[in-house]
Amino acid sequence: MTRYVVQRVLSLIPVLIGVTLLVFLIMQLAPGDPAKIMLGTRASEEAVKQLRRDMGLDQPLYVQYLRWLGGVVRGDWGRSIQLKREVLPYMAGRFQNSAYLMVLALSIACLVGVPAGIISAIRQYSLGDRIAMVLVLVGFSTPVFWLGIILQIVFGLMLGILPVSGIQSPGQTGTLDLLLHLILPSLTLATAPTAIIARMTRSSMLEVIRQDYIRTARAKGLRERLVISRHGVRNALIPVVTVIGLQAGYLLGGDILVEVVFSYPGIGLAMVTGILARDFPIVQGGILMVASSYVLVNLITDLAYAYIDPRIHYGT
Amino acid sequence: MFAKRTSFTILMLVLCIALVGMPMVTPAYAQEPKEGGTIIVGLQAEPVTLDAPQVTDYNTIRAAYNLYDGLLRFKDESTEVEPGLAESWEISEDGLEYTLYLRKGVKFHDGTDFNAEAVKFNLERQIDSNHPYHDTGEFAYAEFTWGAVKQVDVVDDYTVKITLKYVLAPFISHLAMHPAFMVSPEAIKKYGRDISIHPVGTGPYRFVSWTPGVEIVLEKNPDYWGKPAYVDRLIFRPIIEDQARLTELLAGGINFMVNIPPDDLGRLRNDPNLKVVEQTGMHTWWVYLNTMKTPFKDVRVRQALNYAVNKQAIVENVLKGTGVLAINPLPPVVWSYTEDVQRYDYNPEKAKQLLAEAGYPDGFSCIFWTPESGSGMQQPVLMSTAIQADLKAVGVDCQIKTFEWGAYLEQIMVPPEANPEWDLMALSWIGDNGDPDNHLYILLSGDQWPLNGFNCGYYKNDQVDELLRQGRATLDRAKRTEIYQQAQKLIVADAPWIVIDHETQIVVMDKRIQNFKLHPTGPFRFADVWIEQ
Repeated sequence: MTRYVVQRVLSLIPVLIGVTLLVFLIMQLAPGDPAKIMLGTRASEEAVKQLRRDMGLDQPLYVQYLRWLGGVVRGDWGRSIQLKREVLPYMAGRFQNSAYLMVLALSIACLVGVPAGIISAIRQYSLGDRIAMVLVLVGFSTPVFWLGIILQIVFGLMLGILPVSGIQSPGQTGTLDLLLHLILPSLTLATAPTAIIARMTRSSMLEVIRQDYIRTARAKGLRERLVISRHGVRNALIPVVTVIGLQAGYLLGGDILVEVVFSYPGIGLAMVTGILARDFPIVQGGILMVASSYVLVNLITDLAYAYIDPRIHYGT
Repeated sequence: MFAKRTSFTILMLVLCIALVGMPMVTPAYAQEPKEGGTIIVGLQAEPVTLDAPQVTDYNTIRAAYNLYDGLLRFKDESTEVEPGLAESWEISEDGLEYTLYLRKGVKFHDGTDFNAEAVKFNLERQIDSNHPYHDTGEFAYAEFTWGAVKQVDVVDDYTVKITLKYVLAPFISHLAMHPAFMVSPEAIKKYGRDISIHPVGTGPYRFVSWTPGVEIVLEKNPDYWGKPAYVDRLIFRPIIEDQARLTELLAGGINFMVNIPPDDLGRLRNDPNLKVVEQTGMHTWWVYLNTMKTPFKDVRVRQALNYAVNKQAIVENVLKGTGVLAINPLPPVVWSYTEDVQRYDYNPEKAKQLLAEAGYPDGFSCIFWTPESGSGMQQPVLMSTAIQADLKAVGVDCQIKTFEWGAYLEQIMVPPEANPEWDLMALSWIGDNGDPDNHLYILLSGDQWPLNGFNCGYYKNDQVDELLRQGRATLDRAKRTEIYQQAQKLIVADAPWIVIDHETQIVVMDKRIQNFKLHPTGPFRFADVWIEQ
């Protein structure tokens, strides 16, 4: 098991090098010079050249990439071209904000999606199942930017009970304030994953409850609740966990649209702003964080299989 | 009897005057400034730096402005200069030496003294690449503001002499621009490049905190050398989505907002709890015509295109009143502006006639570049599409190509030998210092073809060039006004651009916020503002 985990963590390295190299090259291909964007229209050509020299942008591409990579290994992620700040602390703060949002949204999605899927499956074709599946379809199809704006108007403006945007009230700090700010964006963010998880749970559960061992469990006189919870759900959860893992990775990237609509200072918003300003260090740093966490979440998902299904073993 | 009646009449008169006068007295009393409160400004993006000399955009200067004082200052609602940290100044007869007499007893927010050495340090930090603190920032405006400076000398503790390499009439305005905002030298030495996030100025507000993506908090500087500000705290929140910013304003999460979506403006004007403050800015939006190319070499074609576009309709229907019709590349708020220029009121028949005279009775086709968005670009795609439709009506068939702003900036600034693809190209300009030179010379002089300047359409008229050169080398305001008015007439007659509008600066705020005045140069001045409780 330990060996497996170590192997997986080590396999992270080539993946991350590949991802960052790819992003680096794509950013280079995109037209637009960071020095020019940063200095704006008033700067002289000489000033732009000077800045390109200062930032090392006049160096060959491989030198720029290796220099960046060397810095990352030493814990120096460079300085944002546009924001004139150290990338690591800045992006770490942004990542933390996105993580709050991800954890809350994913919790909502699991707490609503899994039970909804189970109930739909065991009461297949009932009115409840049909209503749940219609809601799933609506939830999955609703554009988040639209839903976000509607929630802002209803809860922020008409009812006036929740903050509209950002992560804290002006001049305030504190967990309660943070939680209040998280409610609307996390509800918005949770809609699509909830729908996906509910659908997945339902179909997986439908398959499981038709299995012979369920019939056997019922035949030996187990109560229906035990049949479902001990024999049904546990077996149905494997594909659901895969989906939850994938959703976690997707949410960790910071759902950009939600962060934009709510002006939520997460990593997705920071990367979008970085891309528009051709701020390579910010984009590279963000990609590195998102890619690492994606791989880690996959690892955790794989380990969770072993916990849920004792038949699965890793290593010797 | 007579005396009695007279005294009765006088008494009644006095009473009447008193009664009439009373309501006038009461509101005047109610208008008494009050101390305290917080203004929360919703900005459209995260500010980039709080180190004034490094600022390059409106959004950032709005957060940084109140931390600083300039050597000189633009008067309220005007681009005329008045004393700032320099109490008075002298310009030598030959126009090459500027002697500044500095205010005494001024301290930076970190308690250090402001003096002549600090001025020398601030200027040299920006212009001298060998200065030990030059690498503490990127100074995009240094060349523009201080390019003419030969040297800076400390005459005594409170006197500085700036010597220029050549006469530059607009230089006096440069002393009021943000590169002339004074930053504490000790703070620069202490924080290095991080001065960007630890700003220390002399202004009416001082820095408290900056939580990236969340807020910038400033508080009143109680030791300010001038009259202290009334409002206790200023908070700047970046809320990038227009709709979210608007909802925040209506829900009370902010009480001051920029960049109002044109469609919502009418509703906000009617809201009894809000007030809209607006002023035509130092801004122009236009379409360059590539004068190096056929058929735009022909002035009749350029004029025809000007007649063909219904600019008034664009201002009313696309911009919904967030801009005013332009008839001249120079904005009306800049001195020397004249309306005595050739007019190109919408007249498609005249356009067709001019095109026929020029040998294009059936029109022609062309390529029209426009960005998707960008600083000062308003609604570029909608505006360009409206222009395209108007041109099509007179037989000129434009193909629009849109670009992301960063990519656009990279591709429009090319010398003529690069033979750019575009025939028409949209751009806008926001003035820096309120001097006509800042618009006419940089954008329309033959000396300013890229890469020297922003005459991207390669317009050239020797007579105009000579006038614009004279204008920047003449110190006498009356003479300069005459020169620039002559230049405006010649330029507009040549029709090198299709000028569309001058954007109106609009802010919406809680109606209790009093005495806020927009400034043509763009920043928000909060020192004289108060909140009615």
